[in-house]
Amino acid sequence: MAAAVETNIPPTYVDIDRSVQRALAPGGLKYWLWVLFCAFLTALGIGFWTNQIYKGLGVTGLTEPTMWAPYITNFVFWVGIAHSGTLISAILFLFRSRWRTAVYRLAETMTVFAVATAGLFPLIHLGRVWFFYWCVPYPNQRYLQPDFRSPLVWDFFAISTYLTISTLFLFMGLIPDVANARDVATGWRKTLYSILAFGWQGTDRQWRNFSMGYLLLAGFATPLVLSVHSVVSWDFAMTQLPGWHSTIFAPYFVAGAIFSGCGLVLTLIIPVRRLLHLEDVVTIWHLDNLAKVVLLTSLIVSYSYACESFMVWYSQDPIEIVTFNQRYFGPQGYLFWIMVTCNCLIPLLLFVPRIRTNVIWLFIISIFVNIGMWLERFVIIAGSLATSTEPSQWRFYTPQVTEIVLTVASFGWFLMNFSLFAKFMPIVSMTELKEGISWLRQAVRETYPYRKAA
Amino acid sequence: MSDVSVVSTFSSDDECAQAILSLEHARMQGYRAFFPFPSEKILEANTHVRRLPRSPVRLWVLLGGITGFLSAIALTVGTSWEWNLYTGGKPIASIPPYIIIMFELMILIGGLAGITGFFFHSNLPAFESEAGYNPRFGGSKFGLVIRCEEAEAAGIESLMRDAGAEDIQREA
Repeated sequence: MAAAVETNIPPTYVDIDRSVQRALAPGGLKYWLWVLFCAFLTALGIGFWTNQIYKGLGVTGLTEPTMWAPYITNFVFWVGIAHSGTLISAILFLFRSRWRTAVYRLAETMTVFAVATAGLFPLIHLGRVWFFYWCVPYPNQRYLQPDFRSPLVWDFFAISTYLTISTLFLFMGLIPDVANARDVATGWRKTLYSILAFGWQGTDRQWRNFSMGYLLLAGFATPLVLSVHSVVSWDFAMTQLPGWHSTIFAPYFVAGAIFSGCGLVLTLIIPVRRLLHLEDVVTIWHLDNLAKVVLLTSLIVSYSYACESFMVWYSQDPIEIVTFNQRYFGPQGYLFWIMVTCNCLIPLLLFVPRIRTNVIWLFIISIFVNIGMWLERFVIIAGSLATSTEPSQWRFYTPQVTEIVLTVASFGWFLMNFSLFAKFMPIVSMTELKEGISWLRQAVRETYPYRKAA
Repeated sequence: MSDVSVVSTFSSDDECAQAILSLEHARMQGYRAFFPFPSEKILEANTHVRRLPRSPVRLWVLLGGITGFLSAIALTVGTSWEWNLYTGGKPIASIPPYIIIMFELMILIGGLAGITGFFFHSNLPAFESEAGYNPRFGGSKFGLVIRCEEAEAAGIESLMRDAGAEDIQREA
């Protein structure tokens, strides 16, 4: 049997509860102004989407040959963002990673809202959204053949499954924490938490089934996370299009997804821990480890860029060479170099421990990672399509206000949902922090020298 | 006939696990433990004392996974046979691309079945509190509620005190 856990060394179980429950206190004026601002962006997006539905896709800059541009970029970006949540919550759970406990709930929440955001973009891109159900692959009487050999159909199944399993995973992990919140809440919050806790009381029987169910769900989510972004990559790689038709795409997309997702986790968790006063449970040690994952995945992504370029050069396929030449040095080549700077060069700063443990640096680097990864998808999708045909038909995509507003609105929609969740649900898992309290204590101890150095 | 509950409160999972193990010697299985996180020590002690098999939730997941896999075969192959169009010179039912659908539905139905099994075997939703439940057990304390005959209560309380209980109460 492991050594007994001291109960009186800070942080104690009570300290954890106090820190997390304090974050659930009613939001002030600034909080609601922020939520209102995000809601305004969302409403603006709805307005522009309505206009697009009314007038047609002609209001966008989408035109032959670049029919997939920011909408599909946003779809891939948000799906990618979702992946780190499952990595941190499921894969690192199976590996019993010590630092995940403080950040996994936030990452899982991000996953669910990111997939929900991603799922909107194929609908927005459809134009005639009311015919969406024509795309749903089920046997029907409309003479539409559901072609299960199509990567787009695989994508439908993959994303639907991913959204469902991620939501279940988040929901299941929340139950004990919501029950904890229920026991101290009053008023309508008590009613809300009582409903969501389903009468959970943490009995031996409940925990026994919870542990098994959670473990198996994590076991299911792990291959799922790898499969989903592989399937998303095959939306492109299964075509014959130069710049897309590459066997490296699946692992390259998975690494990129985890990279961008961990970047956004950093972007979110740094303000959240400060604004909700969670510094005691989400320590610099946790951020340091998260930054290491960002650094590792940045190196993998950089290696993938190099491999992709090498394969094009080594193949000496003239069409591929022209496509990549345009990608690097064409009219929109600057986007590629911004992408390389954001994804490959700036994250190298994370090799420096002082930067990894400085929240301001981490926040700035994470913003660059987000920008770089959005651009990566845009360069691959819109850039490859622009030069995919006869040179006389080449046309580079120019964004119009509709796509720009809908892209910004997607961030508003995501941040609005995330902000509401963070204030009404435990954004840090009290249950898992208590389970790994000795690790948290170690984190607090290891954090101290960093604070001192800063 | 059991007629009282001895409610013991512990400040650590070690003590609570020790208390459960001590019940084995007293041949007591009529207890209920409450704890704020899935402590392996308590779960192991409980499994040992009650000779419990592994949680049946895994069977739900297994059956759900198999059902999802078979459903996906029926959906993909069945639909292809129904719409038997030759495209790209490929067979009507080409299994390799269908494996992706089979995998996804296996995960989907398996996950849904797992959650259902968890709720079913955990008696959730529960509309009434378990006897002896205290909100502290969801936060920072570990509780052990033992149903016993009044004559045995004093002995049980002594066992709990020896295991490190910081508070012991007797409830009707």
